[in-house]
Amino acid sequence: MNRIALGRYLPLGSIVHEMDPRSKIMIMLFLMISIFIPAGVWGYVLIGIYIMICLVLSKLEFSYALRSMRPMVWMMVFLLIINCFAIRTGTLWFSIFGLGIYSDAIYQTLYIVVRLTLMIIITTILTATTKPLDLTLGIEKLLKPFEKIGLPAHIIAMMISIALRFIPTLIEETQRIMNAQASRGVDMENGSFKEKIMAVLSLVVPLFVSSFDRADQLANAMEARGYDPNKPRTRYKVLHMHSIDYVGMVTSALVLAVCIVLAVVL
Amino acid sequence: MTAAIEVSHLSFSYDGQTDIIKDVSFSIPKGSYTTIIGHNGSGKSTIAKLIIGLLAAKSGQIKILGEELTEESVYNLRRHIGIVFQNPDNQFIGATVADDIAFGLENHCVPQEKMQGIIEECAAKVGMTEFLDSEPTHLSGGQKQRVAIAGILAIEPDIIIFDESTSMLDPQGKASINAQIKALNQEKNLTILSITHDMEEVAQSEHVLVLNQGKVELEGTPAEIFAHEKMLKSMYLDVPFALEFSHACADAGIDFDAQLTLDGVVRALCRLK
Repeated sequence: MNRIALGRYLPLGSIVHEMDPRSKIMIMLFLMISIFIPAGVWGYVLIGIYIMICLVLSKLEFSYALRSMRPMVWMMVFLLIINCFAIRTGTLWFSIFGLGIYSDAIYQTLYIVVRLTLMIIITTILTATTKPLDLTLGIEKLLKPFEKIGLPAHIIAMMISIALRFIPTLIEETQRIMNAQASRGVDMENGSFKEKIMAVLSLVVPLFVSSFDRADQLANAMEARGYDPNKPRTRYKVLHMHSIDYVGMVTSALVLAVCIVLAVVL
Repeated sequence: MTAAIEVSHLSFSYDGQTDIIKDVSFSIPKGSYTTIIGHNGSGKSTIAKLIIGLLAAKSGQIKILGEELTEESVYNLRRHIGIVFQNPDNQFIGATVADDIAFGLENHCVPQEKMQGIIEECAAKVGMTEFLDSEPTHLSGGQKQRVAIAGILAIEPDIIIFDESTSMLDPQGKASINAQIKALNQEKNLTILSITHDMEEVAQSEHVLVLNQGKVELEGTPAEIFAHEKMLKSMYLDVPFALEFSHACADAGIDFDAQLTLDGVVRALCRLK
């Protein structure tokens, strides 16, 4: 499990780690919107510089952020090929096997690659510097105003945090069932496609059964400890905004504003 | 004096036909340490769920600290009664030990400023102070059960129910939780109701209820209960090792009083000539 870079918390103790999850989510939102505004090359340069500053401040290594992009490489190559076929405007640069490659196809692909790269780096910074539970709390607090229109923010947050809490437990359980089935002769790795499906089924069914049983017991434990989703609760963890949070939100909002201006002017 | 838990003519069935609990009545005095034993399917855990209000009785009445358990009173009564379940993993709700202890406090609307103090105090009571920031995957089963106890102590209950809380633990964890339970009963004067298969734990309790097929078959002190050794064995129940040892000694012609605990056996052995 250690190879999955995307979405893992890294306790590096930087200034970004100390920030309030709410402001980090807001900054991410501002930057995401900025990325989608067609502000031209200078817009991307500005966003790129801002994100690089965030990356440096968060003490994350650039290579780490890039590593989380590895799964996207094939998608980008696929995109380039599609664009080469689909976009036939701009100047003709060169041709391969009689297929003309136009400048717009390359530019368009580059834009998408840059957008994706920036977005992945932002989300990597967010998840690497924020504990999942703090993130949940941040989301809950940000969704709080929508409770007035019937959005159950605290219930959503409770569901997310329980799901996060049980991921390692369920991985352990999966491993145990796999071992148990392997000892009974189920082969997970070899065999035809049909045999593999059957092998996976022998894993999924017991996992489902035990998960439901677990959920039932968990619900009992929560209820016995006085949990009632419809009653008010106090919270143990409280969030505090510091000056760095305001600086971050104001500057990222400025980036967004500049991008909008650039998009309108151009 | 009102009893901590008063159960009268309680019946319950899951499917509406076969009764799992058949007209059960018993009373548990405040500050006492009661164990309930019975083989699988005798209705032990069902009784615990009925008392904590997770299941609704078919007929009969449950009174907790003199107040009748109803749909309206159950939320308030849960401030006075806590339960530790069997599976350590499925009752660990928080992401860390501190968060899990805080869960009950949050539910009972304890002010945020007071929480940190209560959490530290309760973690200290169960010896988990250095693990406050640990995640459940890094804890042993026994440690998780300690956290569960701390989470219950945090809301300062009068009664704690243990529903086979030690059955998934290794012998070391089992012994430490048993010692913890005894300490809670003696030092904090908490009423303990423990559902268990562990006869060593039964021996350390004050009062024993034997359930068989949904009925209370025997009731009394451990010494009185274990005197019915044949009857217990017919209900697929064990007796403590210390008692079996004493009987074996007596059978071998050694002058040996029946002992329930290993300590007692050691003392009796030392007195032997």
